[in-house]
Amino acid sequence: MKHIQILLIAAFVGMCAAVTASATDIKVIANPNVGASSVSADELKGVFLATKTSLSDGSHVEPVLEKDGPVHEAFVKEYLGKTDSALQIYYRSLVFTGKGSMPKTLAADADVVAYVAKTKGAVGYVSAGTSTAGVKTLEVK
Amino acid sequence: MQVKTIMVAAVLSMGPSLLHAQFDFRIDNRDVQVHSFASQGFMYSNNNNYLTMNTSNGSFALTDFGVNASTAITDKFRVGAQLYDYNMGLLGNFHPQLDWAYGDYRFKDWLGIRAGKVKTVQGLSHDVEDMEFLHTWALMPQSVYPIDTRGDTIAHIGADLYGDIPIRKMGSFSYTFFGGQRPNDSQGGYLYGVDTMSHVPAPQGGFMYITGQTKDVTYYGGPVYGADLHWATPVKGLLLGASYMVQDITTTGHYTQPVVVPYKLTTVTDNATQFYLEYVFRNLRFAGEYRSEPKIVQLNEPNGVLVQGFQDSRSGYVSLSYRFTKWLELGSYHSRYIDNWPVTHSDPRNHIFDQVFTARFDVNRYVDFKIEGHFIDGACIDGVLDHGFYAAPNPNGLAPNMHMLVMRIGYHM
Repeated sequence: MKHIQILLIAAFVGMCAAVTASATDIKVIANPNVGASSVSADELKGVFLATKTSLSDGSHVEPVLEKDGPVHEAFVKEYLGKTDSALQIYYRSLVFTGKGSMPKTLAADADVVAYVAKTKGAVGYVSAGTSTAGVKTLEVK
Repeated sequence: MQVKTIMVAAVLSMGPSLLHAQFDFRIDNRDVQVHSFASQGFMYSNNNNYLTMNTSNGSFALTDFGVNASTAITDKFRVGAQLYDYNMGLLGNFHPQLDWAYGDYRFKDWLGIRAGKVKTVQGLSHDVEDMEFLHTWALMPQSVYPIDTRGDTIAHIGADLYGDIPIRKMGSFSYTFFGGQRPNDSQGGYLYGVDTMSHVPAPQGGFMYITGQTKDVTYYGGPVYGADLHWATPVKGLLLGASYMVQDITTTGHYTQPVVVPYKLTTVTDNATQFYLEYVFRNLRFAGEYRSEPKIVQLNEPNGVLVQGFQDSRSGYVSLSYRFTKWLELGSYHSRYIDNWPVTHSDPRNHIFDQVFTARFDVNRYVDFKIEGHFIDGACIDGVLDHGFYAAPNPNGLAPNMHMLVMRIGYHM
């Protein structure tokens, strides 16, 4: 009985590990017209919290988010310092005071890549293993 | 029967999420976003009628809703507007109003300008105090965010200069300088209270109730200007801030009792200072605010004598909330309002202390439900303004303590 309990706990922990991601599992991507090849963590945070509309090289940027999932949760936690619910509240406070709009939000990595590829200034994030044909990868310093 | 009821409830709760997260359309090749919200509340109190609602018998007269549309004309220039409507007891009466409408041009990240009817940035939440879906609470701490005078203080017709300035290793600063005119909410608590209250300056300072004076107020407004500074500190999750505001409000009309003569209340000085902090650690949020607003006003008595009134109000709250799951958040706050600081604080005629416990349930991404208990000590009977405890809906007087249940369901898209 004890062995079964240990196995169940191990399986549960394994499942939890499988659905989480870390910052190292994330790639930040941008439309090819964005001049920069790297971005600081502060700049990235500013872009996704709508306090920055351009990068240090002058490129106008707009954020693209994923709707949910481990990559989204990890990005929001590691780079923005928020939970998803706190981030939604933050964006809604901008929308309902007129100070900003809801960013484009897409369901899956492939959708994010396709949108970033065709949208000038778009910056998004996907899992590290996603094919990023048609977009450039930004190094986060 | 039970299965059918559950299925109907499930479909209703899924309804908003079956709609798109936001409603977009295009005009002249530009994306226009449309968002909306609505809330319905219920309040019951064991004593007193609060916020002009018949809370002593239970009241559903707490409804608000709004819709906004906005678009980016260029990369730097946005325009938008929001319509808002509400009813709260004897206030609001479903008179729709323009909540905000302005153009916003962002020259640089550190400098932008907004002009039009703009929500006033003060403290942590002044510009969003009425968006219930943004908060843990069914009622925001009334000491700092009084819902009954929302329409008179939440926006100004004028302009803001604003910007965000990151400073290496110091975090980032967000500033706002604002100036303009206070618009009048003809259905709001300020005019209702001034019309129906009977306050005169008290010999010992502050104000006191008397009977026999009522007014018909026809104008409220005046210039307002100030500033706010947010500091997102280098300590992860810690935000500090300070706000300052000067108002020069004039209220005019005429007395209806005991004689019909003009009435005029002018501001001699009215400066408000506010300090605040917020700390967020994972799903835990701690917040606190302190506000000081000394003011001197001058008004004419029905017999024509000019009198001055002095008020030195101090208010604040501390709050703690924790999100346990995506659908459950619990929280509590303690809110304090002292109407006139030099007068005895423990006197319930001079204070309102409110201990609150809240449970927020997020049914889905678009619908939330809150249930909240208030344990209120004091009714600020000698206060300059009514602070929710209006004399007219309480003809038998005000009890010094009150327990109150608030429930609110909200929807936003």
